[in-house]
Amino acid sequence: MDNLTIAAAGGMRSRMESLDLLANNLANTETGGYKADREFYNLYVSSEAATADASPTSLPVIQTAWTDFSQGVLRPTGNSLDLALSGKGFFAVSGPSGDLYTRNGSFHLTPQGTLVSTEGYAVRTVAGGNIQAQGSGALQISRDGTVTQDGQVLGRLAVADFAEAGALVKQGNSYFRSTADPQAASGVQVEQGKLESSNVGAAESAVRLVSVMRQFEMLQKAASLGEQMNQEDAQEVARVAS
Amino acid sequence: MMRALFSAASGMTAQQMNVDNIANNLANANTNGYKVRRVQFQDLLYQNLMQPGASASQQTVVPAGLQLGLGTRPAGNEIIFTPGSLSATENPLDVAIQGPGFFQVLQPNGQLAYTRDGEFQLDRNGNVVTANGNPLQPQITIPADAQSITIAADGTVSYTQPNQTTAQVAGQIQLANFQNPAGLSAAGGNLYTPTQASGDPTLGNPGGAEGLGTLQQGYTEQSNVSVVEEMVNLIVSQRAYEANSKVVQAANEMYQQTNGLVQQ
Repeated sequence: MDNLTIAAAGGMRSRMESLDLLANNLANTETGGYKADREFYNLYVSSEAATADASPTSLPVIQTAWTDFSQGVLRPTGNSLDLALSGKGFFAVSGPSGDLYTRNGSFHLTPQGTLVSTEGYAVRTVAGGNIQAQGSGALQISRDGTVTQDGQVLGRLAVADFAEAGALVKQGNSYFRSTADPQAASGVQVEQGKLESSNVGAAESAVRLVSVMRQFEMLQKAASLGEQMNQEDAQEVARVAS
Repeated sequence: MMRALFSAASGMTAQQMNVDNIANNLANANTNGYKVRRVQFQDLLYQNLMQPGASASQQTVVPAGLQLGLGTRPAGNEIIFTPGSLSATENPLDVAIQGPGFFQVLQPNGQLAYTRDGEFQLDRNGNVVTANGNPLQPQITIPADAQSITIAADGTVSYTQPNQTTAQVAGQIQLANFQNPAGLSAAGGNLYTPTQASGDPTLGNPGGAEGLGTLQQGYTEQSNVSVVEEMVNLIVSQRAYEANSKVVQAANEMYQQTNGLVQQ
């Protein structure tokens, strides 16, 4: 294949992947604490082409997807066990295979009184333990994450932050896994009775959807054009030979 | 791999369920003691096309990787036990709970159920029952000739009989609460039944140390559905559905164009 067709095909493929990212973002516009995925385009240069002197064939590919960790809108719910974070940071929960991090603070109490996430993973405190409520008294959670019940302090919720956002890997169910060690978050506030909405913007997503579609259309035209040129080449060559 | 199509389809299914839930909330906007339910969504698993932390070359490491998500799913619809507003009815057997507790009633199948709907009536034996005829537990019986019935804030039910000046005590209404009320299972008829997730009920007298709340005679608790909020949710949900359907269209067109490449 010629350079034009290869480049166009690569572009079409990466636009398909862009659409996949976009579809997932739009499917999750109502997911609490969801953070939108974005992409970086890059030119792929094969190692053989890079060492050769000839101008390398470059393929546009999505190099990495990055997650937009901007703040979602905090929506009041009136439920005292709904917590939202205002600022940078994540709630830490004890998952089945190590710690998980989430911005979805829709927590519950187990029949034993442990504060858990929707999946039943215990919410971690700064001291490394869990929040254990006694009886059915209401929990008060202050802005720094200190949980009190009937005037008694039960612990302080751990809010973790990461130096590199790239260390966080989406795990599904609104959780992130981390490849780096967390550090204590600073300047973040815990808001009781609120939930963080998804940070996917509908208008912006619509614009991106149209742009991905049109780019795809253009690349498709380019690929057809490349094919047409190849066809003509073949026919011209054939005519000369006859 | 038609990831975009399936992600969008999952978003549409999820929004459909959201609208179902909103419809039920709105249908119960005038149901006494009804508690609003809210659907929660979660993102699905991710497909790792490039692992974060993999080495891009000898010196550099891929900082973020390439993960493609596969859509959303409804994780559950939770009952929100915020108090509803109280409305005065002047009916002596209408009781509202100011606080987190529940009335305990006995179902015909012999199991206990819990309700916030305190519109009580008397059956033919003088027992205090709910609108469905489920008797309050512990049972309270009021004789047929009782004239004025008083229910105190602490749940004491008393009445006076003709030609008597002193009030007779018929019993005390008890309240129940759960460690995790959000884990209760709605049984219809304004009743909730305990589950493994809610834990066992703790019983106590109204106004007691358990913090179950106090009673208000002559009031009913309206549902805590905010019609305006549900309407806003309905619009948001409808638009989200629309956005997802646009993705289906876009994906369809892109696949069509890809197929168009081959025909020439």
